[in-house]
Amino acid sequence: MAASLRPAILRHIRIPVQPLGRHVLPSWLGSIRLMSGHGDDHLDRAEVVDRVLDVIKSFPKVDPSKVTPEVHFQNDLGLDSLDVVEIVMALEEEFKLEIPDKEADKIDSCPLAIEYIANHPMAG
Amino acid sequence: MSLSTAGYLARRAAQKERVRILYRRALKDSLNWAVHRHIFYQDASDLRERFEANKHVEDLDTIDHLIADAEAQYGKWRHPDPYIVPWAPGGSKFTRNPPPPRGVEILHDYGKEEND
Repeated sequence: MAASLRPAILRHIRIPVQPLGRHVLPSWLGSIRLMSGHGDDHLDRAEVVDRVLDVIKSFPKVDPSKVTPEVHFQNDLGLDSLDVVEIVMALEEEFKLEIPDKEADKIDSCPLAIEYIANHPMAG
Repeated sequence: MSLSTAGYLARRAAQKERVRILYRRALKDSLNWAVHRHIFYQDASDLRERFEANKHVEDLDTIDHLIADAEAQYGKWRHPDPYIVPWAPGGSKFTRNPPPPRGVEILHDYGKEEND
């Protein structure tokens, strides 16, 4: 009884199998950075500039309209040295970097920050 | 006169650098201690206030004394297990699974042609 009932039920609740394109990755996968990346997928320079400018513009003491890729933090934006430390730390978090203290201390303007991050193999 | 001015400026520059690096380390360390972001924001603004409080100190020896004091405090309250970016030395992914050297190629379909 149970033996004949089983296939009948199974046939009834079967889910139709649809073939998937095996080598076609879903489109959302293209935008995800995989965990095992070795930094061989370098960041685009334009993207680095965009994200650096976004970080600086979102700093509360900065007037967003003054921010350009050539801006100097202390001379042009009117920040003090501790603000610059905070900006560099925000940039580190944005690009998942660990910048040694002595090198981070030398980053005092937008071009230097962009240069450092664009040339960093691990910037993500 | 100019020599003493140069000496003064050099000493000031060294002090400023020490303060910047101390602030950077202390800020990172407060992020290590804070469990949530909103706690970190409060800690960071408290830290900033403590630095701002001595902003207008002029006497060089007093400044040196204050910096040494703050560095000792930082050393005392350092986090025992700070966050380290995974690929950095001491991080969880440091030297793990390094990329193959240049010119070495991995065959992903090894032995496939005989079976087909």
